Formats: sequence, structure tokens, C-alpha cells
Amino acid sequence: MKYKFVALGISVIVIVIGWANILGGKGLNTGVDFAGGTLIQIRFKTTFPIEELRQALGDASLGSSKIQEVEKGEREYIIRTMLPEDALDQELEAHVLMGNRVVEALKTQDDRTAADSGLLDLNIIERDALRNLIAASFPEQADAMADAIINLRQSVELKGIFENFDQLQSAGIDPQLLETLKAETFLGSMTIERRETVGPQVGQELRRKATQATVWALIGMLIYIGIRFKFAYGVAAILTLAHDVLVTIGIFSLTNREINLPVIAAIMTIVGYSLNDTIVIFDRVRDNLKILRKLDFPSLLDTSINQTLSRTIITSSTTLLTVVALFIFGGEVINDFAFTMIIGVITGTYSSIYMSCSLLTFWKKIFKPKKGLGK
Amino acid sequence: MKKNLQWKIILVLAVIALSVFLAYPPGKKIQLGLDLQGGMHLVLQVVTDDAINTETDQEIIRLQEQMKKSDLTYDSVIKSDERLGRIVLQGFDATKEREVRDLLDEYFKEWDNSVTGSNATLTMKATAMTYFRDQAVRQSIETIRNRIDELGLSEIPIQRQGGPTGDRIIVELPGIEDPDRVKNILKTTAQLEWRLVYGGPAQDQETLLLEHDGKLPLEMEILPGDPRRNLGGNYYLVSRVATVSGKDLRDARRSYDEWNNPAVSFRLSPEAGRRFYKFTSDNLQKPLCVILDKKIINVATIEDRISDSGIIRGFSDPDVVDDLTIALRAGALPATIKYLEERTIGPSLGADSIRKGLTSIVIALILILAFMVFYYKLAGVNAISALVLNVLILAGALAYFKAHLTLPGIAGIILTIGMAVDANVLVFERIREELIQGKSVLSAVSSGFSRAFRTILDANVTTIIAAIFLFQFGTGPIRGFAITLIIGITASMFTAVFVSRLIFDVSLSRKRKRTKLSI
Repeated sequence: MKYKFVALGISVIVIVIGWANILGGKGLNTGVDFAGGTLIQIRFKTTFPIEELRQALGDASLGSSKIQEVEKGEREYIIRTMLPEDALDQELEAHVLMGNRVVEALKTQDDRTAADSGLLDLNIIERDALRNLIAASFPEQADAMADAIINLRQSVELKGIFENFDQLQSAGIDPQLLETLKAETFLGSMTIERRETVGPQVGQELRRKATQATVWALIGMLIYIGIRFKFAYGVAAILTLAHDVLVTIGIFSLTNREINLPVIAAIMTIVGYSLNDTIVIFDRVRDNLKILRKLDFPSLLDTSINQTLSRTIITSSTTLLTVVALFIFGGEVINDFAFTMIIGVITGTYSSIYMSCSLLTFWKKIFKPKKGLGK
Repeated sequence: MKKNLQWKIILVLAVIALSVFLAYPPGKKIQLGLDLQGGMHLVLQVVTDDAINTETDQEIIRLQEQMKKSDLTYDSVIKSDERLGRIVLQGFDATKEREVRDLLDEYFKEWDNSVTGSNATLTMKATAMTYFRDQAVRQSIETIRNRIDELGLSEIPIQRQGGPTGDRIIVELPGIEDPDRVKNILKTTAQLEWRLVYGGPAQDQETLLLEHDGKLPLEMEILPGDPRRNLGGNYYLVSRVATVSGKDLRDARRSYDEWNNPAVSFRLSPEAGRRFYKFTSDNLQKPLCVILDKKIINVATIEDRISDSGIIRGFSDPDVVDDLTIALRAGALPATIKYLEERTIGPSLGADSIRKGLTSIVIALILILAFMVFYYKLAGVNAISALVLNVLILAGALAYFKAHLTLPGIAGIILTIGMAVDANVLVFERIREELIQGKSVLSAVSSGFSRAFRTILDANVTTIIAAIFLFQFGTGPIRGFAITLIIGITASMFTAVFVSRLIFDVSLSRKRKRTKLSI
């Protein structure tokens, strides 16, 4: 309890810096989900240094695209292109075109020459088309061979792209067919692993829905705690949660990470999670108000926090262990989610211990409830 | 062993057996979301204004017919540019105002009318408008479903978003390798019509009207040639009404014409066949055109009478013909379709995500196991058993509800693992406290559980509230996350309170007087 002003001070500083950055500085890095735009995850056949990538996109006047490397090795990137703000009325098709321009810009001269001379790209070709191609010279094997080749290409090891024709051998294809493929197909320089396009209309709507969901969840919890405890606890808990959400978003702005749908899901989870901690403490307060009647309110709060402290820390540690595992091993797609959870778990624990009870004492000082805060 | 303990053991074993039965083998029983198996998620919008316009056009023709039947003359009937669903009738005999009013009241009940002097306006009633919009969306869903079936995909979920007045459709297609082709097939309106040609080709519209003193005759219309075919850049004067249209088709297949160019062979319904036979007999040697989505794709002279089958020429690419026949067989869309959102994920990325997700789950489990055993000794093992059971129940429930496991869903499982331990921790901490206060092992366990229960309930209900709102707001992957979280937390209350207690009870009941508890 004695640290309440220190804690409050730190929180206020973090929130103020974070939000100053959002409102006056770099702003929030809203991802494709909310701003509208195209996200393309591309894997290259050979290394493609990020500077060259930037150069190639710049040449195609796509310089404003954001490029993010996936794993080390300069072979896989996530590229995000947005339409400018004033193009909000544009249809989704405009975004799709932007995406196509990105893909066009990154094609190599070899790709173009090969495609122009009528060869098919074995790294893009779909099952049916490959089947037709093989059937022309090997009708009996067409189905099995096409499946084997496509499945091999899609395997976790190759990640959707053949680097050279030798790799085809592990699909067990016969040497003659390999020769045919070498003559009639080429290995394109890239494959598109993921492509997401969100129209501005949907983006705006998702933003609205995300805000609504968060606000309604907070109201729902306020009501539940109001019923199970007392209104004062509800308000203190909700303020604690609002604190967590504000801090998390603030840190997001500072680290310039992207806010997308999974991140919103993570924030909602933090709301639930942090409340979990807060409730455990409040529950103790509720119990202690019955047992330790003589104790003054601030010391009673202190006692309650200390009694639950080991539990709070253990649970936070186990949860933190799991989200850190997710952060390290979960891969690129879930990385932002895991990052949010890590911040959230830390702030959630901190705020439950230092903020929630302080807020209760403030409530008691300001409103001086006649019946006290017991139930 | 006490009787009621036996029953509890049987219950827990039954839950284990049921979960395993539901979820085994997981590769087949648990459905993967699009982000894990690869595929395409599309949000489409039906431009329902199109349907209102189509209806208005048809009503204009009907109005012309009714006026003619009642021997009422007028200058023009046009569709208003200012407002959707409005028809303006101009220049009838002002003395016949009453007759016109009666005619509109009797035959155009779906329209509000206002008649002043020699002019009248008809406005489509709000209820009718809602009806036509709704019909357009329903029909579009039906058509899209047919087209997907034609593509050889089955059991594809197609949802309407936004309730009965919503104009959005969500389509989730797993394992698509050529997203652009599928998108094009779904989007083609595929309105096919056969109409008579009165004039053309001409470079511009004015030339076509020279013969008609610069005024477009009422029964005619000017349409452009399809730029993708060799008719591009040309305009034709064609009849306003189609003799036969896509609705009359019974079948459409790819075939070849005499010069081995790809063509569409079609078969009409018997009734349309008779109509077509009469029409071609009456119009021998006149030019007839085939119109697809308001663009002329082919013009040919009627050489012979045609009844219920024939071919359409004018194509060069067999793939285009294939895709068109798919769309034709599935029926036309009643309105234009726009794509609002599109997410495509390749199968290799999905497989990669699964592998990484599973790795994270295993590592998380091991870390927690190590932590719990280190901190709580034997009681930690108890918690771990409860945890493993929790994951098992989660898998069984996912399989039972046919919920799709998504990448955020896997994150949900990992998170559940972390949070489910919380219930155990709450109980164990209480038991420790009771032991410190000097209570016997039995009563410490008993009061530890009962006192912690209320806390666990309150704390978990709030997380479930958050998850429910998340479910409401989210789509696809996010819903997957919310579902795993809800199931996981509910299951954790069962495993941490009921199962974990049972394990304590069983191990304590063996030795009568136990003075030490490994916690």
C-alpha cells in the first residue's frame, strides 16, 4: 500500500508517453486488418537481400510498402502495402492490384523470359494444370505424379518452393518425366505463401467492432463483479483493466509493432486474465472483512495482497512460461499475439497487485460508503 | 474405499474414454481452420441495388404493356436517375388521369404512385424493396453454392453476414491452389441472352441511330461488343427483350466447332426450345447475337431453325469456356458481386504453423510440469494429471462441436494450459495455509478446496465473459481462439476442482492416518 503513489506514478508516466506517441508521434501501426490494404508473404527460391527488395519495390513506386523478414536467411518476407488515406472509397480490387504490382515488381528477368517462351512455372502451377501437362506424355502416371510433386512442394521441408530440379527426385518420379518437366517447365523465383487483402470498408468496420467488443466485455465484467462483490470493486477492477489495455496499446505504439486481429484477441484475453488476478485479491478482501474486523482498511488490503501474493506470482509465472514458449517457438504468424500476451501478463500482474487495492482505498476516501465495503 | 469415491472414479474414467473416443484419431476428427490447412476466406458483398434496377426495368415493360392494353397513349416511360426504384411516366392524356390512376392502383400494388396532370411517378414500396434485396442475396448464395459444387468442392460453409437484411456473404474454401480462377468464377454474373440484331457493327452509337432519325426506338437497345473478343470497340443495335436467356438453359458443356475452336454447347428446356424454334423460323436469315453480362460475345445469321440445342462460338481459350460453362450450369447471379475481404493461405505455411504450434504446446507443458513438480512436489504431479486431462477434454469437445482448430486456437490451448494451472495453484496455496494454521491433512485438503472454489468460479467466469464477447465480434480464426478458451476454462474448473480433489481423496483414503502431505 505504501507504494501506491509510486506505482500510480509509473503507470501514469508509461501511459502518457505511450499515448503521446500515438496521438502526436509515430501513431499506431494499424495493420492491414484495420487500415485496409494487402499483406503478402513471399518465399524466394534463393536469398534476396532486403535492400534489393526495397530497391525493387521502390522502382515500381511501391516504396511505402513495409517489409518484414521472416526468420533469418533473407528468403522469406512479409510485405504490406496500403492505399493512401484519401483512397478510402476505393474498392477491394484496387488493393488486389497493388498486391499484383508487388508480385510483378519482384519477378526476375529469368522468370519473365521463361514465361514468355511458354514455359509453366512449376513453383506456382496448380494440381489440375500439372496433371494435364504430365498426361500429354505419361497418361497413366499423370494423377499419381502430379499429386506426388505438388505434395512434395507443399511439404514442411520445402515450404512451397523447389530450389532445383534435383529435389523432385524424392517424389519418386521417373527420369524421363524429369526430362520432360525440365523441358516444359521452369522453377520460378518465388511462391506466395499468404495473401490477405482487406477493403477499407471492412477495415473500418473491424475497428468499430473491436472497440465495441472491448467496451462491452468491460461492461459485462463490471456488472458481474457488481453482483458478486460490490459496485466499488467493479469500478476498481475495470479501472485496473483499462489501465492494462492503455499500457499495452501504448507499448505497442512505442515498439512500432502492428495491431491486427490476433492482437485484439490477445488484448481481450489480457482483460480476462488481469481481472482473474484482481478478483482473487478482492475475494480475499471480501473474506478478510468478515474475519479481521478490527484491522483498518489499508492494512487489511495489505494483508490480503500478501496472502495471495505467492499464488499471483506462481500463476503469472506459469502463464508467462507458456506465452514465452509461444513467442519463441510459435512462428511469425502468432508472434504479435504472443508479444501482446507477454506485455499483458506482466502489466496485468503488476496492476492487480499495486493498482486494484489502491483504487479501492481512493474509492473509500472519496465516497465514504456508510455500510463499508464488506458483503 | 468409500462408495461415492468409486462413482467419482467411474465418472472421470468415463469422461476420459468419451474424450478419447471423440478425438481419436485427431488427424481425422479435429477439423482444421483455413489458416492451418490452407485455403481461401472470402467476404463478398451483393450489390442489391442491381436487383432493384432489374425489377424496375421489368416493371417498365409491364407498364408499357398495360398502357397499350387499356388504349392509353403516352410520351415516355423512364427509370428515374435521381432515385432507386422509381419510374416516371410522362405525357399521357390529362383527361384520362383517372383511368391511369386506376390502372396503377390495380396492377402496380408494389408501387406507391402519385399522378398529377399528365405525368405520374411510381416509387417502389419499402417492403417490396427489402423483399427484392433479400431475394437477391438468397439467390446469390444459392448460385455461389452451385458454382462451388460445380468446381468439385463439397460441404463448403457459405454464411450470410448481418442477419436477414445483411448483404454480405462469407465463403470459406479449403485447399485452393488457384485462388484467382476461383474468384473469377464466383464473380461472373453469367447472364446469358439471345437477342435479335437490328444494326451494327458501328464505331459509335450515333452512327447506329442514323437510320432511326437519331432517336432510339423503344423496343431497341445499344450494347457494346465484348472487348476481350474480336468484337471489341464496336456497338450493336439489338432488341430490348431477350428471346431466350440463361434461365432457360438445362445444360452447358465445352465442345468444339467445325474449325476446332472451343465453343459452348447448350441444351434448352422443352418449353424454351419450342419458343426458340418459332422465333428462329420467323427470323430466318436475320442476325442473332449472344450476350453475356450485357456484352455481345457473338453475332451470327440464323441459317436454320434451332429448337432445344446448339452451340455458341466466338471463344479462343478453352479455359475461359470451361469457367463459363461452370457459371452457366450453376445459374446467373441476380446482382453484381464485390469482394470486400480476401485471405489466402498456402498449404505449406499452414503445415508449418501446425508444427510450430504443436512444438509450443509441448514445450509449454514440459515447462509447467517442471515448475509444478519443483514447487509442489507430489501435488504438482496431481496438477499435471489434471492438466493433461484438460487438454484431452478440450480435444474431445473441439471434435464434438466440430469447431475448427485455428492458429489462434492453438494459442488458446497454450494459454488455457497456463491458466488452468491457476485453479490448482489457488487450491494448493489454500491447503498450505490451512496446514500452516495447524489443521490436519484431511481437513486442510477439504477446506482448501471448498474455500478456493468460490474464488476460482468468480475469476473464471470473468474470463469467459471476455471470451464470449470476443466470439461475438470475431470471425474465423478469432472465433477459434474464443471457443478453445471457453471450453478450456470450463474444463479446467472440472479438472482442477473435481478431478484433482478426487486424486487427493483416493491417495489419502489408502492410508488412514496421514500426517504429511507432499505439497
